Amino acid sequence: MSAQLHITPRVTIPDFLVGEVQSKLAYVDESIVRAHVASTGDRITLDLREQAEDPKRSELEEKVQRVVTSMVQGAFKPKVQILENYLDRPVPSSADPNPELLARGEMFQEAAGIFTVGPLVTRLISFFERQFIALADSFGAAPYRFPTLIPAKSLERVGYFRAFPHSLSFVTHLREDLDAIDNFAQHAACDEHGLNTPVDSFAKIQALLSPAVCYHLYFALADKPLPGGKLAATAVGNCFRYESVNLASLERLWNFTMREVIFVGPKDFVLQNRETGRERMRGFFEEIGLAYRVESANDPFFIGEFKKQAAFQSAFQLKFEIRAALPFKQSTLAVGSYNYHQDFFGRSLNITLPDGSPAHTGCIAFGLERMAFAFLSQYGLDAANWPDAARKFVA
Amino acid sequence: MENDTLIVRVQETVAEALQVPIRQVAPNLAFGGIKEWDSMGHMGVMMLLEERFGISIDAEIIAALTSVPAICEYIQKTRKD
Repeated sequence: MSAQLHITPRVTIPDFLVGEVQSKLAYVDESIVRAHVASTGDRITLDLREQAEDPKRSELEEKVQRVVTSMVQGAFKPKVQILENYLDRPVPSSADPNPELLARGEMFQEAAGIFTVGPLVTRLISFFERQFIALADSFGAAPYRFPTLIPAKSLERVGYFRAFPHSLSFVTHLREDLDAIDNFAQHAACDEHGLNTPVDSFAKIQALLSPAVCYHLYFALADKPLPGGKLAATAVGNCFRYESVNLASLERLWNFTMREVIFVGPKDFVLQNRETGRERMRGFFEEIGLAYRVESANDPFFIGEFKKQAAFQSAFQLKFEIRAALPFKQSTLAVGSYNYHQDFFGRSLNITLPDGSPAHTGCIAFGLERMAFAFLSQYGLDAANWPDAARKFVA
Repeated sequence: MENDTLIVRVQETVAEALQVPIRQVAPNLAFGGIKEWDSMGHMGVMMLLEERFGISIDAEIIAALTSVPAICEYIQKTRKD
């Protein structure tokens, strides 16, 4: 029997943190199926799988208070900077595309956060991909193919475990042990909670599913001078970020695809290309009539790191998101971002410039499924209503 | 507060926030000058400055306070205001 738990936070959550706190509450306890923070920041409602009695109830409250206090006390209010604002661009659709996507077989849910998309959406993604590859070509970006797996050692080296522990997806295999393999072959089965195999059948984790594309390039360049002193590269890849109960439709997938254009070199080279890339994309978004805004943002750091890292990103204008309008829910969705990492990866991975200083890095990233979803939210599934370029491409 | 005293107090605060000996925090040390003064270290410095000097540092200012001299200048200006 489901139930609700209402909690009054010890410190009021400021408006600029309401969304961030709410998203982190999903990770507080497995019994939570939904968390809601009132816009006034003084009330939290948890939807639970079943009624919670003490001591479980007190434990939940304590954990929630810990999250709120950790994220709110001493938080720096972010500096919001809007670089482009075309949210008021008129678009023909305000309907929720999800029911039609499902009904037409253009979207099929295999499991939470795991979706297959059909021919129309695939062609639409190819349309966007063509544009993103053209952007990469305009910088002379070298093409790369990166693996889906990423070594645990590499992520540790760039502090990923500390910053984003909640969204990691681990990979393992059965231990090299005949009994464990035999036992698995004979008894492995799934129940409502997943695979029933004992945890000790699995080997220690050496790899994870990759959470981003550009990391692979930085790892490939590690511990040596950067050839030529600067590099533009591009790749598309599967990315994995576990988002618990926040997973929803094509908006928030566990497994999604990202195209990145990556820059490595001196500070000016990276920053200039990030800006040039933004200007070039503005032309494309105008051509297809996308309603969107580009604004400063921060990555979804976990609770312990959030306060400092998010404020740092904001203060130094390291991340700007392309947020496309979702008219059916009067909100926006991040479909891409313009990122500058300063010399973080250059220092962490010892990537050096000809003068011996650490290289700076940055990337322009597009979430392909989100891009398609936002477009369909604004234009609907009938290609006859689409802008010329998109309609001709999918025809 | 005398200027020299302020510089020393800022050096002490930066050293404490970055968890390094004060001798590593030169009077002209800047962000990136030692490996501990990275992005996380910088925000630790900002938070401890607020606490120790009773000042408020908003996001607009964080990116400007990237050296011991810049921090001293900001504290002096804030106190005059």
